[in-house]
Amino acid sequence: MDIQSLLASVLEQSTPILLAALAAMITLRANILNVAVEGMMLVAAFTAIAVGNATGSASLAFLAAVAAAILMSQLLALLTLRFSADFIVAGLGINLLAAGGTLFALERFYNSPGGLRPPSFPDVWHIPDGSLSFVPFLGRILEGQSFIVILALLAVPATAVFLYQTPTGANLRAAGEDEHAARSAGIRVGLMKALAVGISGLLSGLAGAQLAMDKLHFFLPDMTSGRGFIGLAATLFGGGLPWMTAAASFLFGFFGALGDRLQAFAIPSQFVLMLPYIAAILGLTFARWRAHRRNRPARLPGHQTT
Amino acid sequence: MNEAARSFLRAIGAPLGAIALTMALGFLLVASITDEPVQAYRDLLFANFDSLGNFALFLNRATPLTLIALGVIFSFRAGVFNVGGEGQLYAGAIAATVVGVFFADLPAVILLPLAVAAGIAAGAFLGWIPGVLKVRLAVDEVVTTLMLNTIVLLFTSYLVNQVIRDTSAYGAVSRMVAKSIWLPPMPGVPGATSGFLVAVVLALVTWVVLFRTEWGAQLRAAGINLRFANAVGVPANRRIISAMLVAGGLAGLAGALYVLGIGHRFEQNFSPAYGLVGLTCALLARIHPIGALATALFYAMMLNGAAYMQISTDVPRSLVNLLTGLLVLLMTARLRKSGLRG
Repeated sequence: MDIQSLLASVLEQSTPILLAALAAMITLRANILNVAVEGMMLVAAFTAIAVGNATGSASLAFLAAVAAAILMSQLLALLTLRFSADFIVAGLGINLLAAGGTLFALERFYNSPGGLRPPSFPDVWHIPDGSLSFVPFLGRILEGQSFIVILALLAVPATAVFLYQTPTGANLRAAGEDEHAARSAGIRVGLMKALAVGISGLLSGLAGAQLAMDKLHFFLPDMTSGRGFIGLAATLFGGGLPWMTAAASFLFGFFGALGDRLQAFAIPSQFVLMLPYIAAILGLTFARWRAHRRNRPARLPGHQTT
Repeated sequence: MNEAARSFLRAIGAPLGAIALTMALGFLLVASITDEPVQAYRDLLFANFDSLGNFALFLNRATPLTLIALGVIFSFRAGVFNVGGEGQLYAGAIAATVVGVFFADLPAVILLPLAVAAGIAAGAFLGWIPGVLKVRLAVDEVVTTLMLNTIVLLFTSYLVNQVIRDTSAYGAVSRMVAKSIWLPPMPGVPGATSGFLVAVVLALVTWVVLFRTEWGAQLRAAGINLRFANAVGVPANRRIISAMLVAGGLAGLAGALYVLGIGHRFEQNFSPAYGLVGLTCALLARIHPIGALATALFYAMMLNGAAYMQISTDVPRSLVNLLTGLLVLLMTARLRKSGLRG
């Protein structure tokens, strides 16, 4: 396997993680630890396959998937922001509801708890082979990727511009950094948080659609298998910064691709798959440790600081 | 109505409301599927008492839920948002299994306590990591416990697939632990693990420790207002770390008792999200140990009853997964409007 096709497969496998990471990043900047990305992705993946199966239209399936994820995100926003439910608990509830609801729908409507495999499924648009041959090196990597991969790559600068170059983005970050100060400054904190959750629903929807519609064309219960949490780990490792988060996502996506291949070299894949989560804990600990050292009060002779 | 009764009613009002709303939504769902929604709901909740065998399976479900919920109560009372029950449970289960498989030649008097201790220690270690990171460096414990869950699940998957796998069995299951250390069944209910009695006793012990000892009072003080606790000389940081040790230890014990009393081996998928459901039970009970015993029993009824419901009517058992999601989503919500403009 040459380097370009390896990178192309890493890009394809990293895309759901990248989108999940950006979804978690937007809410993290509004001071919300979004554990519900996983569930919103799963609902989007299921909706994509179910609607594509029923209508035979790829664009309808894609739109329905994204809409379903946004709907889930607004359910979460409603319960947490209007009815002051705890964000972590309600987010985990979204995940359980997504897993339980999709499984229930599989058993109830399709009578197949093992998954939904439509005999034929409409293909989404992929960059045609050879159309980018004039681009050196990168062209071969991008050829054959779905349009969702392109959207994901564009989402990185888009979120960066949104957060740092627009007034709404600045308000959103202000609401996340100091809620009371933001409120005093006239920022509608609740609205900003609902917006952040909504954007994370949109990005999670893209992630779920990519997962189900790009190559697989089927839905399995729990098919997201932790990608939402790997995305969360990437965001935390990247410190909530768009470019760092994207870099961490590709790194973790690379680990994932590596995990499958290292099995042959007697390195258990489980240890490779653990790396994103270990990296997130270590990265966070290191960041806190540095902040801790910087803020440590000066040590006076004979006086013990705690 | 006296003041105590009124405050009791106020305390259980919100969780009962969430349960009632969830069950009502579930009933509508069931009514849209089957012509016998009442029959389906009766089986979901009460088929557990139709036979001694059903009842035994119900108690077996309640045991890990109760123990995990008790652990969650210790950590939440100390102000630690511990969502690591699943990982701590798996750590306890795999540690007890490894000891029970590798030291099968030891006499049961030594091996049984050793396996249980290994389970508790493994769970406690997993609780200790987020506890120390939170106290020393203020690392968010939600993140660490969440990430540790997956790390432990992957690690147990490695152990069960590559190290202690039973190659004659189908799926990712370990070899059996030595038969000499299988827990005896509960007196009078063959098929039910005596581990349930341990869970009941520990619920009472938890109540006494938290509400009737100085150590428990200090632990709760650390959870209610950390700076105040520190200011009045409570060793709050040490109490927080010990609360996490106890929390992890209880979830680890749940895993060890599952292996020794119910599964007799480690199965990679033995837990239907016991960690999260145990957390749900603890929160529904307003993090009160005796209340958690009640909510754990209620939840065990639903988890186990779903199978009977599926057999007698055509309602899929995954209804319970859906209802759990709804309940967790709704249970911390308050009717009081906070307002988006706020």
